[in-house]
Amino acid sequence: MPALLEVTDLTKVFGGLRANDGISFTVGAGEILGLIGPNGAGKTTLFHCITGFHRPERGTVRFDGRDITGLPPHRIARMGMARTFQTYVAGGDLTVLETAMVGCFSRTASPSRARIRAREILGFLGLADLADLPIRDLPVAGQKRVALATALGTEPKLLLLDEVAAGLNPGEIGELMDAIRHVHEERGVTLIVIEHVMELVMNLSDRVLVLDSGRVIAQGLPQEVAHDPAVIRAYLGEKYAARYLEEASP
Amino acid sequence: MDILVSSVVAGVLIGMVLALVALGLTIIFGVMDIVNFAHGEFLMLGMYTGLLTADATGMDPLLGIPVAAVVGYLLGIACYWGFIRFLLRGPMVAQLLGTFGLMLLLRNLALLLFGSEDRGVNAGLLVGKSVAFGMGVIVPATKLAAAALSLVSFAAVWLLMNRTRVGKALTATALNAQAARYMGIPTERMNALAWGIGGATVTVAGALIVNFWSVNPYVGLLFTMIAFTIVALGGFGSVPGALAAGIVVGLLMEIPGIWDFVAYATEWDWMMDVPVTSFKYTFVYLAYFVIMVVRPRGLFGWKH
Amino acid sequence: MEALRAAFDFSDFRPTERWVSRAVAAFLLVFPLLPVSSFATATMIQFLMFSLYGMGWNTIGGYGGQVDLGKAQYVGIGAYTTAVALIRWDVPFWVSMPVGMGFAVLWSFAIGYPLFRLRGHYFAIATIAASLVLKDLFEVWDFVGAARGLEIPAHRFATPDFVRLIFKEDVYYYYVLLAFFFGGVLYMNAFRKSRLGYQLRLIKDNEDMARSLGINVHWAKVKTYAIATAFVSMVGSFHACYIKNIEPEDTMSLDLSILIALMAMLGGAGSLWGPIIGAGILIPLKSYFKEWFGARAGLVGMDLILYALIIMVVSAVEPRGIWGLVERHRARRESA
Ligand SMILES: Nc1ncnc2c1ncn2[C@@H]1O[C@H](COP(=O)(O)OP(=O)(O)OP(=O)(O)O)[C@@H](O)[C@H]1O
Ligand SMILES: [Mg+2]
Repeated sequence: MPALLEVTDLTKVFGGLRANDGISFTVGAGEILGLIGPNGAGKTTLFHCITGFHRPERGTVRFDGRDITGLPPHRIARMGMARTFQTYVAGGDLTVLETAMVGCFSRTASPSRARIRAREILGFLGLADLADLPIRDLPVAGQKRVALATALGTEPKLLLLDEVAAGLNPGEIGELMDAIRHVHEERGVTLIVIEHVMELVMNLSDRVLVLDSGRVIAQGLPQEVAHDPAVIRAYLGEKYAARYLEEASP
Repeated sequence: MDILVSSVVAGVLIGMVLALVALGLTIIFGVMDIVNFAHGEFLMLGMYTGLLTADATGMDPLLGIPVAAVVGYLLGIACYWGFIRFLLRGPMVAQLLGTFGLMLLLRNLALLLFGSEDRGVNAGLLVGKSVAFGMGVIVPATKLAAAALSLVSFAAVWLLMNRTRVGKALTATALNAQAARYMGIPTERMNALAWGIGGATVTVAGALIVNFWSVNPYVGLLFTMIAFTIVALGGFGSVPGALAAGIVVGLLMEIPGIWDFVAYATEWDWMMDVPVTSFKYTFVYLAYFVIMVVRPRGLFGWKH
Repeated sequence: MEALRAAFDFSDFRPTERWVSRAVAAFLLVFPLLPVSSFATATMIQFLMFSLYGMGWNTIGGYGGQVDLGKAQYVGIGAYTTAVALIRWDVPFWVSMPVGMGFAVLWSFAIGYPLFRLRGHYFAIATIAASLVLKDLFEVWDFVGAARGLEIPAHRFATPDFVRLIFKEDVYYYYVLLAFFFGGVLYMNAFRKSRLGYQLRLIKDNEDMARSLGINVHWAKVKTYAIATAFVSMVGSFHACYIKNIEPEDTMSLDLSILIALMAMLGGAGSLWGPIIGAGILIPLKSYFKEWFGARAGLVGMDLILYALIIMVVSAVEPRGIWGLVERHRARRESA
């Protein structure tokens, strides 16, 4: 599989805190990579570094065969990388449809064509009924789904999703999972998915990357990672992890 | 040489007074992130207060200062409770609109009450007197006194902010209003207090300035712009920054004097041909523009 | 082509809005035919001018959320270009107006490029500073008459002169400006539904999201600022021919900049009708308050005091301006 994204030795420092510390990994075209880790592990920071919102202190990011380290976000986005944000609260007066249209405008200048495309995307994310509501009237989970639709409007090669399932009920999570799968299969979009909802990551991902305190502590198939002692330790803490591992081993 | 020294001294002295003008703006901004476009109008009212107190009582204009402080304090508090409070909920556009409205209101009230002609202080203890410093430097006594009293006011505000309970509560509100609220600080009242102190300091500055600067209802805007520049230069919300930046801006306003000195000293004709005195305030505006673009956090980097 | 269709397409407005706007358009068309005073006509011309200024302001200030308080500098550039060109080289208005717009746009790039690194209050104040610097320069620049300003020698031309835009009767000015006004409304109607229009509204709401969608936020703002500038400069050119006597103190003053922003903010920033409503209310108020109170001794300033109180009340009660009040009322009625 040719690598679509190649991150090497990425390091981002805030004051004294190493939010990302020598992170290296690759994502092949057509893959779904799950990105997990406890709160404050540096997942969002990693997204910011890859998409140009943060300038890393060290390391490189290659996308689609080009070095994109230090490029401004809009340039990176235009190369075919889209993302959503963990915290997104809409306050403006745009409607759901209009917001989705702005994503489509990166491919066409024609409002009527953007409108058709946006309706199509909203339709298959199950948002068609909400099209004419002001986006600020939606609950946060709904707003995030609109953000996903908007990102899809740019027709990305690589899509980075930051906790899109947060705040959804199990039924909605199932729907979202189907939608993501659809995006992946029908449109051939490569994905990196940050998610605390384990059910979703473990079911969707081809591979999972685990961060803790800014470092990669494990990567591999979902089942492998789930049973990795280092990961269990990171999530449960030293003491509980020891007990858990004891019980799990025969 | 004496032109140069005189310019520098004049710049530093006026700068101290201007710093006091800006002090209120920076405190208000620090505490509640609102820019008051009516700030210069408060100053204008302070100038009229100083002037009219002197006229009415026959006392020296300098004695109008405490009156001005009281008027300014009450005016600030009244503006906050009666009006500004309602703007804080709204977006920035509404705040701008609102303080513009306040500016127009105060300016035209002054026009209605005091008329449009220029008025100045022409009698008083210090008026017309001057102090010689040697090297040909002569400073009007009014300016010297104004600068000295500005420093005193600055010190008073600094003590209030750093050495008293209420001052610390004010600073806490400025740092993080929400946290302050949880700590039991009545942030609404702190906001009002910031407007009171802001109003008092700027009207005191007005009562000082009126001793050597004539007043009319339109004088405010210039000072608003000067105050903005000082606040930008010193860092939005920074009290010591305002003092340093005030002096820098005072010196900027003396550029014409310094220019003349260089022109005469070097005998460069082209310099003499430039009508640099017309640009007295241009340098101030230009400074704001350049500072904000190059160093948005202020020249001294003080900002909480 | 699509833009042209969008300009004439008002179908997303409610029927009442469409009827009211048609009625207003009809009224504006026949206004000079009614038995009205010359004072009323002059007030209407002011209204049309400020509506256009406001529409320009509204692109960047309303849809883009960047409160610009330095529009007067572009009024000045337009007015001075037209006046200087006419006085010195007898250049027709229809040539000098686009040239002035060109100058203004170039200047707006020079100013806007650094300026849009700032946000919020900082941006607003910096626009004032930039505008004042340009005004100070014009006040000493002899080529443009320095502080004395310029006077267009209207008596030298046989009126009505449609080429130089020199008329004796206001009614000619009125109709020329009305054509600009309708053009402006159509342009704004297309703008708000254009790619840039939507992008700008998203930028106002969430800059990071806009960036992540491949929008060059800085450039989008600079571009929109240039559009706003072109509008304002165009009316500035008209102002020169209409007033005939221009000086930095009134064409480039901060008061003018503030007035332009006030109209649009008060009417409702970020809506098509906002600037028109704002100008439609404030301009007649200002003229007639002045007429009523100004003439009476002892009441100078009264007009602007009332005016200021209206502004203060609106800003405290409904930050989205008068259009916001209308929408709020409508929402309440619909939910009831
Ligand atoms: N702009 C910033 N300035 C300073 N510190 C930051 C900044 N952004 C993040 N951090 C710190 O970096 C660390 C990593 O944060 P990050 O948001 O990347 O974590 P995360 O893995 O996304 O966590 P969560 O699962 O809670 O979203 C945290 O300790 C956070 O406090
Ligand atoms: Mg995160």
